[in-house]
Amino acid sequence: MILPRAVAQPAELVEHLNALAPFPSGVANLRYTVDNDWSGDPAIFFWITLSDDAARRAVLSQNSRRIMDVITQRLDPVGQWGLIPYFNFRSQSEQAKLRDEVFG
Amino acid sequence: MAYHDDLIQHAIFLSELDLPDEPKQVRLRRAVSAAYYGVFHLLTTEAAQNWKHSSQRDRFARLFDHGRMKTCSSKVASCPLPDDSAQVPVASDLRLVADSFVKLQQARHTADYDNSKVWSRTQVYEMIALAEDAIAAWSRIRESESAQDYLLDLMGTRQ
Repeated sequence: MILPRAVAQPAELVEHLNALAPFPSGVANLRYTVDNDWSGDPAIFFWITLSDDAARRAVLSQNSRRIMDVITQRLDPVGQWGLIPYFNFRSQSEQAKLRDEVFG
Repeated sequence: MAYHDDLIQHAIFLSELDLPDEPKQVRLRRAVSAAYYGVFHLLTTEAAQNWKHSSQRDRFARLFDHGRMKTCSSKVASCPLPDDSAQVPVASDLRLVADSFVKLQQARHTADYDNSKVWSRTQVYEMIALAEDAIAAWSRIRESESAQDYLLDLMGTRQ
C-alpha cells in the first residue's frame, strides 16, 4: 500500500494549507481535518464558515464553487497529497448558534 | 417529472420545511440523502437505458454498487482536462458530474449514519445545489462518448 504524501509528510501539508491564506472573499473562517472517508480512502475535509452575505442562497452555489476551485487549484489535494477533498459550508450566523467545534 | 427530479424537489421541500424557524436535523439529513439519490438514480437509469430489453432495465439499474461508482467517479474527477480546447466543455461537465457524485455520496453517508454531525441549512442548500448542477451538466453531455464510457465504467468494468 502506498502511503499518501499527506500522511508521510504532514508538516509539509500544514505548510501548504497555511499558505492558502489570505482566503478567498466570502470566507470568514477555514478549518480542515485529515481523515478517511466512508470507504476508507484518505481525505481532507474543509470546514468553511462563510460570511452571511456570501452564504445567501441566491449566491451560495456560485461562491462555494469559486472557493472550492481556488482551494483545489492551489493545493491539488488529489494529485499532490493523495487526499480526496470534501467541503462543508456554513454561515457565520449558523455557526454562532451551533458552535460546532470542527468549524472553529 | 423524472424520479431524479422528484428527489431533488423532495430535498428542497425538506430543507425548507421549518422556515423561518430552526430546521429539524431529521429533515436536513433526509434532504442530503435525497439529493445524493437524485444523482445516483439519474446515472443508473441512464445506464439502464442502454440495456436492450426494457423489461430488464430496473433490474439492470440495481446492479450498480455505491463503492465502485465512487472509485470510478474519483478517477474521472481528478483527470486533467484535455489539451484539445474543443473537448474541454464536455470534459469539464463530466468532471463536475463525477466530482459532485463523490461529494454527495460522502455527505449522504454522514447524513444517514453519523449522529454526531449537526447540519445547517447552508450545508444542505450547498449539497442540493451540487446535485442540481450535476444534473444540469449531465443533460448537456449525456450523448457524448466520454459520458457513455463513464456510465459503463460506473459498473466497475475494466479500464
